[in-house]
Amino acid sequence: MRNEIKHHIGSLLLTIVILVLFEIVTTAFFPALGIKNYRIPFNILIVLYLGFKVESPFIAIFIFVLQYFHSFFSIEGWEMGTIAGIFICVIISYLKELLHFSSAIITILVTQLFQVFWFLIMSAILYLKLGDFGMIVDKFWRFLPESIFISFCAPVFFVLMDRIWGVASKEGMLGEEV
Amino acid sequence: MKILEEAGQRHKIFLNVAVLAISLFSLSRREFVFDETTAFENFMVDMFSPMQSSVTYMRQKTSNFFEFYVANIDASRENAELKKGIGELKSQLFQYEQVAKENKRLKELLQFGSETGFQKVLAQIIAWDANSDFRVLRINKGKEDGIELQSSVVTSEGLVGYIFRLTDHYADIITILDPNNRVDALVERTRSHGIVEGYSKSRAIMKYLAGTEPVILGDLVLSSGLGNIYPKGLKIGKITRVERESYGITQTIQIKPSIDFSSLEEVVVLVSPKDELREKEWKALDEAEGAE
Repeated sequence: MRNEIKHHIGSLLLTIVILVLFEIVTTAFFPALGIKNYRIPFNILIVLYLGFKVESPFIAIFIFVLQYFHSFFSIEGWEMGTIAGIFICVIISYLKELLHFSSAIITILVTQLFQVFWFLIMSAILYLKLGDFGMIVDKFWRFLPESIFISFCAPVFFVLMDRIWGVASKEGMLGEEV
Repeated sequence: MKILEEAGQRHKIFLNVAVLAISLFSLSRREFVFDETTAFENFMVDMFSPMQSSVTYMRQKTSNFFEFYVANIDASRENAELKKGIGELKSQLFQYEQVAKENKRLKELLQFGSETGFQKVLAQIIAWDANSDFRVLRINKGKEDGIELQSSVVTSEGLVGYIFRLTDHYADIITILDPNNRVDALVERTRSHGIVEGYSKSRAIMKYLAGTEPVILGDLVLSSGLGNIYPKGLKIGKITRVERESYGITQTIQIKPSIDFSSLEEVVVLVSPKDELREKEWKALDEAEGAE
């Protein structure tokens, strides 16, 4: 575990650049193509990656910074995603011994599973805030295609992030031996 | 090594708890009414928004290129030049048509509400919110164009929403399809009041309408002017569904907005000149208080 934040600054900055690029694609490019009802939540994918692979006491700070940048593209704000992200990372830390990204299929399934946790936490917060269950049902139908897309992106995306964060794994994220 | 790891774990727990506590505190204070940006947020949004704007512009140019040139690659050499010429003419014609259509749309927008006395700021939509839970649009006009927080946003077809977040050059509109947006509204035919809230990607609902009100499908719903955000008489949409409970005192009504949000390109922001007057009044009152 690298205990000093200076070891992670470069990786975090690069991750922010990637997040901003993806946010621009999601908010401007996809709607221009006619995809206006669904947004691909790349911020969730990045936070999940941090939880799965990055060993650092500063995870909570990283999640906050990423969600803060996400808030420039959404009125959602940084708070809900930060809360959900930290909870997810705590859950992951307890299950870490059981999680092995030995193949692309497993990466996809694990990412999908933790997106369900994310959905449940966010729905609970939104319900507490708005008190409208109808909105949660509506959110669920959007969550399905969005989360499946994110899960399919995960294997390739995690390989890219491994390089950025300098994470060495025993097995390649796409299943091959490294 | 073990001591270092234990220290790391302690740090991690401390930071997790601290960031969670700050997030929960901030979330409890967050109201989805409007968002006043800090100087840093203002700077960041103004920095990222031109990139969103340029992506939209590039997408349009690429689409035109593929539509008018790449599709003609397989034509014979003899016809290539003619086709190219026709393609260029068509492209020009297409552009003229687009300009003519835009012209017509803008004229309608500018003529709309001429009697209301509002100052109108025409703006283009450049992006949508990054989270599909929120139906929010970003426009290419901001504080420097005279827009103010909570200014109403309309088109010639009806009400779009209001300004939720504002920077120097860009603004976010919370649309009437967003559940956080509530409009005090009335049914045109019966003059009965209710609150319109966003419900889904293409529907809004009208709540708290008395169960005895004889509303029917197709009735037009307008803004009532109450609530200090929207002017009176803006078209919201038509009633598409009425739900009356046998023993309930209210009825819930589904509304199809008069605006097709999926094809929205330009909007008009209504800036009230009264606000300036109000500001002067507040300033004068503050000064008077200060003098006392």
